[in-house]
Amino acid sequence: MKCPIETRENAEVLLAYCTRKLDAESTAILERHMEICPACREFASGQRSVWEALDAWEAAPVTLDFDRRLYRRIDREGSWWNLLMRPFRPMLVRQGLPIAAAAGLLVMAGVLLERPASGPSAAQPQSAQVDALQPDQVEHALDTMHMLGEFSSRVRGDAADPKM
Amino acid sequence: MSERVKTDMGGATAALDYDAELMLRVKEGDGASFGLLLEKHRSPVVHFLYRMVQNHAVAEELAQEVFLRVYRSRSSYEPTAKFTTWLFRIATHLALNSLRDGKNERLQERLDDDSTDMPVRQISDSRPSVEQKMVFRARLEEVRRAVAALPEKQRAAVLMHKYEEMEYSQIARVLRCSESAVKSLLFRAYETLRARLAHMA
Repeated sequence: MKCPIETRENAEVLLAYCTRKLDAESTAILERHMEICPACREFASGQRSVWEALDAWEAAPVTLDFDRRLYRRIDREGSWWNLLMRPFRPMLVRQGLPIAAAAGLLVMAGVLLERPASGPSAAQPQSAQVDALQPDQVEHALDTMHMLGEFSSRVRGDAADPKM
Repeated sequence: MSERVKTDMGGATAALDYDAELMLRVKEGDGASFGLLLEKHRSPVVHFLYRMVQNHAVAEELAQEVFLRVYRSRSSYEPTAKFTTWLFRIATHLALNSLRDGKNERLQERLDDDSTDMPVRQISDSRPSVEQKMVFRARLEEVRRAVAALPEKQRAAVLMHKYEEMEYSQIARVLRCSESAVKSLLFRAYETLRARLAHMA
């Protein structure tokens, strides 16, 4: 058998042996090896001492109110929303409907106030142009169009009669 | 339910432990299952944390935080690993943070040294003499100091290996490192402990 102490990977076998986790066959091989290997014997003996020393170190039992304290913290966390709403709760219970109605009215008022503010700004330039046109201006423009039409028909008539 | 806790871990489908089943029930709103998990893991978690930070009050405070985090995470819990791996990962994380923040030392100043509160294992006779008690206390103190002197990760690895009897692979998952790194951590830690405690044989 190759000496387990030579490599860290093989030392795992010695650790397993000292913690009694090594299978029977490997234990027998290792014990035969340890009979002729003082380094491994020393390792195993030292490791067993460490194991026993650690065994002696017992932790104190958990305090009796551990669960109670934990559940209290869980309850406290779970009810943070309730805590936040607590000051408003009596008001909400007694005057829920009037508050809801008031809130609805506020929302509607907001919508109505918003609407006229945006309407006129878009429509204003068109209506301003329409207002600026006077009836006499329209009449004058129609007269001018009529004169131009007459003039062009005469010009066409002169061009058609070569004798003139 | 047992079908539901089967999960794919690295390509191989593995049936998970009963704790994971309980945690899935907690996820569905079953408070009694949380009580069962607490009952089963309360002492191992507190004891692990106590040996990590070496102060009972701090250890219990940290353990409360561990279970609180477990409860808070219930809605997002997915059984992708052993429940204890997840549990001890939270515990180790909190213990390492506590040690790094130095909270433990500040609390230690205010609290009495609780080493005297520790149960004393009776050596041979059912009623040990005063001298035997003193010797035992001195030895225990030596063990505590030797463990406390280990680097944090080595300490966590030793405690999980020795007291929780975890496999190398599980310790590796808790510490988020490779299995060979865990073997190396343990080898170095036990080497240090052998040097300090071998004379106690």
